[in-house]
Amino acid sequence: MSLFKKINAISDNDKVRKAWFGLAVAVFVCLIIVPSIFVVTKLLTEWGVVSDTLGNSEIMSLIYGAVGNSFSIAFIVTIIDIIVGIPMAWIFVRKNFKGKKYLDTLMDMPLAFPTAVLGISVVIFWGVPADGVTIPGLGLVVSPYMMMIMLHIIFTYPYMVRSLSAILEQIEPNYETAAMTLGASRFTAVRTITLPLFRAGLVTGFILCFARSLSETGGTYIALTLMGDETTFFTGPTFIAFMKEMDPSVALGPMIVISVIMIVLALILLLLVKRIMIRIKLPVTKVWPSIGRKLSNGIAPKLKDIVSIGFLMLVVLLPAFYIFAYLTQPILNVDYGQLLSSTGMSFLVAGVAVVFDIIFGIPVALYIARHRHTKMGQLLDNLVNIPLIIPTTALGFSLALFWGSLGTGGIISVILVILGHTSFTYPLVVRNITGAVEEVDPSYEEVAMTLGAKPLQAFSKVLMPIIKSSIIAGAILAFTRSLGETGATIAITSDVNTVPVYITELISSGSYSEAAICSIILILICFVFMFAVRAVTHRGDKSA
Amino acid sequence: MATKIELDGISMKFGDFYAVRNISLKVEEGEYITILGPSGCGKTTLIKVIAGIWRPTEGRVLVDGQDVTDVPIEDRDTGYVFQNIALFPNMDLMENVGYSPRVKDMPKDVTESVSTEYLELVKMLDRAGMFPGELSGGEQQKVAIARALASGSKMLMLDEPLSALDARVRVELRYDIRRLVKKLGITVLHVTHDQEEAMSVSDRIVLMRAGGIHESGSPLEMYREPKSIFAAYFIGETNLLGCTVTDKSRTGKTTVRLRGGKSVKAARSELEEGDAAVISVRPERVYTATEGLKAKVLSVVFMGTYWRVRTVTETKDYVDYNISTDKVTPEIGSKVYLVFNKKATKVFKRPEKGLAEAIRLE
Repeated sequence: MSLFKKINAISDNDKVRKAWFGLAVAVFVCLIIVPSIFVVTKLLTEWGVVSDTLGNSEIMSLIYGAVGNSFSIAFIVTIIDIIVGIPMAWIFVRKNFKGKKYLDTLMDMPLAFPTAVLGISVVIFWGVPADGVTIPGLGLVVSPYMMMIMLHIIFTYPYMVRSLSAILEQIEPNYETAAMTLGASRFTAVRTITLPLFRAGLVTGFILCFARSLSETGGTYIALTLMGDETTFFTGPTFIAFMKEMDPSVALGPMIVISVIMIVLALILLLLVKRIMIRIKLPVTKVWPSIGRKLSNGIAPKLKDIVSIGFLMLVVLLPAFYIFAYLTQPILNVDYGQLLSSTGMSFLVAGVAVVFDIIFGIPVALYIARHRHTKMGQLLDNLVNIPLIIPTTALGFSLALFWGSLGTGGIISVILVILGHTSFTYPLVVRNITGAVEEVDPSYEEVAMTLGAKPLQAFSKVLMPIIKSSIIAGAILAFTRSLGETGATIAITSDVNTVPVYITELISSGSYSEAAICSIILILICFVFMFAVRAVTHRGDKSA
Repeated sequence: MATKIELDGISMKFGDFYAVRNISLKVEEGEYITILGPSGCGKTTLIKVIAGIWRPTEGRVLVDGQDVTDVPIEDRDTGYVFQNIALFPNMDLMENVGYSPRVKDMPKDVTESVSTEYLELVKMLDRAGMFPGELSGGEQQKVAIARALASGSKMLMLDEPLSALDARVRVELRYDIRRLVKKLGITVLHVTHDQEEAMSVSDRIVLMRAGGIHESGSPLEMYREPKSIFAAYFIGETNLLGCTVTDKSRTGKTTVRLRGGKSVKAARSELEEGDAAVISVRPERVYTATEGLKAKVLSVVFMGTYWRVRTVTETKDYVDYNISTDKVTPEIGSKVYLVFNKKATKVFKRPEKGLAEAIRLE
């Protein structure tokens, strides 16, 4: 307590606060931003291998194909998410029905699944997996391209619905009511008033989903392996993962080239999306009252709700949970020692990364929220998005190059993996806290300080309790995201065996059933952990 | 005049809670009604039911004699103005006001001439190309009213339209609104919790309390002849003193005994000798004299156009009275003798659950 008092006393000093903020920004820039895009400098320092690769048309066509697949899949998936996400967001925000709470929890579940597990589950559900899989599937989807779309929808859809709901909640429901008292049908009211106000949410949702799909490695790689297509069909990240297994002298050039292409395209996209989304003119001038009316009354709105919930059930939840079908199989001899040690490693990496995110993320989040209109605030706001949009495999590769001089092996590898996981989880935590702080009236803290609280006290006693649930939500999101990540871990080092890496290895060696049982155990551990966190943090405050 | 709106036994239930309960009301065509009441008494719920925003749990809404209870909101043709204004932020004023003709698929030139006409009516035509965010609150609310009227509706629901505005704007705008709707012959239900606003604009006040209509009448009736303690207390200001009826003259004039035995003459009442009662007298009907109810001055406050003097009487009641600004004010702590204008007093039966319960606001 005396330490708190001391820190509290010096928090009154403006210079100390500036130094602390400076440190947080320095950490953000030096440990997160710079290593993430360090690979771009290799274009100059390793020009020899790069130009060899550029001259090799065989490799280059593979790279173009992989990049093309990545971006087109991400685009198609995001568009589908938008189309089916909008009505779902409506259901969550504007409707009240029994079981809404359960639907809400169910929707987040795929986020808690390691994507490697989703990869297995989805291929078994929709497709015709390679020999050795004992669970019957639908056998509907045989093209790897289609399968990737079905897979990526599952872990991007919750992000889209969440971002859209967050914006919808801020849009005054009276706008729609006002439009309806003026004679607009609900459909017309939504189309002419609410949707145009929705763009900010669409931008966030678009970036989140696109980036998530673009950077996903583990699930994609496993799905392709299960289908037997892993050496013929590539996305950007699986190509990097594939090359990583090769001799470094052969692999370095192509890895640099594809990483740089992915990073540059992703950054261009980040810059363009905002502009394009704001500029796009929705066709709002003309209205079709009779069509609007038909779509607003009778069976049409019910059908829309049924289709939305049906989509969530059939395309998102059922394929994700299909892996539990393995419980009907005879229990195998699982290597529990391996599973436990890799689980421990995963929790260690995720735990340290999240703590790091929170400590160094809060000052930056506070700054962005309170200085939204200054140049510095906007700069930081844009910078925070960068690790989010960069494919994690490229990010991991970049990180490995940046810290490569430290050597690898043992504890250093673990630290590097933690740094890597910090990079792509940091934006999730900062985004959540920024959003929450912006909702809080700054006068609360000002009042606390007029009553004699020092800045740290004002933060810890007033602001912190209000935004606590958002910090926890961000932390859980970051934690599960880290737990499920495969690509970055593989790209950084092959020494650190996290659970998704372990499961990927099992799949590669054909031990499908064992991989499935490990996945189920992992999912259960995750759920127990998440519920424990919720139970502990919700104790005593029901409002959170 | 024909009946424009009729409510027949309207109840609206949210869960187990009745927001309004069994309300019946007739509104004449062109009438300006204010629905007055403390927060949470169900006044907004009532106009939302009339506008079709909510379907009542029980009862019927009739407009021009037609049952419209099940007509959807977009076909009700009832203008509605929100407390938080709710102009569409993505459209300029011209588009906002032209929204209703547009969604009814009128030709473009009709839409434009309608929005021009109504912007002109509220004197906002010179701002037609501006966006709502660029206007002050009062200007926004004018546009919101123009938008509601541009639907061609002959009924207008105003949901506390002035409560978010500055004091002076509020006063000016309320007369503007009344002038406008009277000119157009619109039937208005105006929800407010401000009794001064209600008295100054309406043809009739409907006083609501706890989901029901408590009392209604013209502003003057409600002020001069309130039928209940709550109405006397809520509309205008009043002094309430507990007492017992001691005598009634042949013409019905009542004499009451205050606590401590002091006798005071009051107006006519229905009460009998020996009944427990409460008398109400407005501060502007209390005067000082050389003898009467002895009281000690507690405070003297300048109210702008008069002085408000608060006293505690020998009967342990608090009594306020007004004196004009050109008069000398009494010293705090000094003794005064108070008399009531007995014709302006009202004698009510003392409520069984006590006076505090009778004037409780929620």
